[in-house]
Amino acid sequence: MAFPSVAARVRPRPRSEAGARVKLGRQARREELAFYAFISLWIVGFLLFDAGPIVASFLVSLTNWSLLGDPTWVGGGNYQRMLDDAVFFKALRNTFYYGVGSVGLGVVTSFLLALLLNQSVRGIALFRTIFYLPAVVSGIAVAILWTNILHPDYGLLNAGLARLGIDGPGWLKSPDWSMPGLILMSLWGVGGAMVIYLAGLQSVPQHLYEAAALDGAGAWRKFRDVTIPMMSPVIFYNVVVGFITSLQGFVLILIMTDGGPANSTLVLGLYLYRNAFTFFDLGYASAIAWVLLVVIMAITALQFVAARYWVYYEADQGR
Amino acid sequence: MARRFDDVVELARELERRGMSRRHVLALGAKLGIAAAALTAGLEAASGAVTAAPARQGDSIFDPQAGAEGPWPQAAVPEPTEKVTLAISHAWDATFFKRQQQFDALFTERHPNIEIKAENTPFADYLQKYTAQAAGGTLPDIMYCQFAWAQQFIGQGLFQRLDDYIAGQPDFNLDDFVPPSLVSYRNEEGLYGIPYDEGPGMLYFNRDLFDKAGIAPPDDTWTLDTVKEAALKLTSGEGATKTFGLAPLPTPGAGTLAPAYLFPFGAAYVNEPEETTCRLTEPAAVEAMTWWDELRAAGAVPTPDDVRNVAWPAFQFGNIGMFLEGTWATPPIRENAKFNWEMALWPKGPQAHATFSAGSAYMITTGTENADAAWIYLNDYLSTAGQRYMWALTGRGSPARLSAWPAYLDSEFAPAGAPLAQQALTSIASHEILDKPTGPRVTQAAQAIWDEVIAGSLEVEPALQQICQAIDPILAQNAS
Repeated sequence: MAFPSVAARVRPRPRSEAGARVKLGRQARREELAFYAFISLWIVGFLLFDAGPIVASFLVSLTNWSLLGDPTWVGGGNYQRMLDDAVFFKALRNTFYYGVGSVGLGVVTSFLLALLLNQSVRGIALFRTIFYLPAVVSGIAVAILWTNILHPDYGLLNAGLARLGIDGPGWLKSPDWSMPGLILMSLWGVGGAMVIYLAGLQSVPQHLYEAAALDGAGAWRKFRDVTIPMMSPVIFYNVVVGFITSLQGFVLILIMTDGGPANSTLVLGLYLYRNAFTFFDLGYASAIAWVLLVVIMAITALQFVAARYWVYYEADQGR
Repeated sequence: MARRFDDVVELARELERRGMSRRHVLALGAKLGIAAAALTAGLEAASGAVTAAPARQGDSIFDPQAGAEGPWPQAAVPEPTEKVTLAISHAWDATFFKRQQQFDALFTERHPNIEIKAENTPFADYLQKYTAQAAGGTLPDIMYCQFAWAQQFIGQGLFQRLDDYIAGQPDFNLDDFVPPSLVSYRNEEGLYGIPYDEGPGMLYFNRDLFDKAGIAPPDDTWTLDTVKEAALKLTSGEGATKTFGLAPLPTPGAGTLAPAYLFPFGAAYVNEPEETTCRLTEPAAVEAMTWWDELRAAGAVPTPDDVRNVAWPAFQFGNIGMFLEGTWATPPIRENAKFNWEMALWPKGPQAHATFSAGSAYMITTGTENADAAWIYLNDYLSTAGQRYMWALTGRGSPARLSAWPAYLDSEFAPAGAPLAQQALTSIASHEILDKPTGPRVTQAAQAIWDEVIAGSLEVEPALQQICQAIDPILAQNAS
């Protein structure tokens, strides 16, 4: 399998048996220097443009600051205020709803698509291109397209449902259906994950399927006992990255619903933006940003813990 | 250089039409963080400015010499003895920014020691950009400011008080300004901005749709009942080609709700001018909002979702029969509408005859090192001659100075109903709109509840009760 664990891939500098660092040869030192030279651009960029604002945003979260005047120190006041803010909790719930819905649906759909596009049929390259194509369309165009697709009166989706005799819901106009509408829209970008699955599927050694066939496994058993375990690191990667992305998502939501109707699509990212740039409440907005970070880290950590029980790393088996 | 800038402005307008402007700001805020946003804004300020250069007639639909004769005022403060550069921020469309460049070129001829660096930013991006610049301490010397932001900025000490300059300028004549135009730029300490316009809410109507429906154009006999009847009659079709009778939807999510939609019924949104208490639960307000909601229920007004990705103003696309908007909507309608349209007075209601009015101003920032030169510019720019040059002769409309109105009414670019706008401004216009710093919080909270009414899951009266419960604590902040 082509996805060894991180631990297996990152090799620490060799040490002697006594534990002392082994002196590197000239070639190795050159490689080490090259390594630092290559990553230095990113590190410098991070230190200049990200690290400062990250630290500053934590300090700002401890103040009351309108961005226009001087900040006043409030300590943990903004975090305490959050506990009484019903809109914040609604946004938090919506964020989870969107994250679970879009990642769940996205993972299943992109995996099934990858399975479909992993077949040996004529014109498969064309099919792969067609299914990947939506992923390269700009976000704004996607938002406008889907606003029209989901329009309850003249949208393509409800027109299709009407053909089946189903009275389509209000989608983005309805507080109950707006979030499902956005989750449905998020499928538009599954092409990216699909390509990763496809690469993973093509790396599953054929001899495993042959061995399973010799043992009498049918298509379903091969899928369940060979494909899924061998693909589990890829699925894990897509779940983790998908969750992190969806929990931060707000650009398309801002354009398509602006958090409405009735705050039914208000996610934390959008609430943060609203507090910062509409209400000029930078302290509170920064506090929301930090809570969002903690939520993302906690969920990611949970996923890593859970991964021990279902993710299979071929490279770990020898240890 | 000018050509390239024009292209950028055009591109910005196109992106704005497609809803991309907010994304741009979001990208700034989300990816770079506040500090980086401030840095970016600062860099933009440094690189995006355009030094005034004479705009050729061929570049503009306006004759640069029309109105150039003045008479221009003589500033009471002395001219700078050395060259100074004033950075001035605007939020004009590309067409009107050319007029701005024409003014700046003429100004520099009259005041050779004052060089102008004009920064033009799409309106949708303006607030975020200059808020970030304020945080970074890189505001221009003179700033455009809309009524809705003014009190927030004034409260934070970003603008200089102008009373001393005005008092020292004998020919300034503050009484020449339409009284509502000054409201948003004052506090108990003084005046912080000079308004350039004050647009009353007018009833734009699609003459073609009126003729097709056999409805006579609005006149003095019209009441809000007539508006309702006409709106229902004009509503037709369905789907993407549906025609709506009236827009926009009356909603507590709009800070301009009260004068046109509530005052005619003897109702109010909040107690003005304090804005400390919600009044939407009073019987008159419940009755008025219920009356208006009947139009929504009949499908005669578009919901926010219907017009979300449509360029402002939605009226310009021809599928709205009547449209209540300030006179600032005239330029895009005139430029883009492919149908016959006119402007009428907003009709009277059972209790009163009222419409809203609002406008924008220019301010001198506290951080400027060239306050006197900035005053010389403002004194020229917003004098009678300046308002005539910029807003009257161009048909842009609703100059804040009454003395500039005759030139507006005579302008070849003014719409046919321009005299009615003057009549509205001096007789029925009210500036009692939400313009305190709490305004955005109030309207966001109210809209979230009113969405339930739009979705049909909440009745008007309980919705108004919920709104008052939600916004009273926010409004209470205005008492402190």
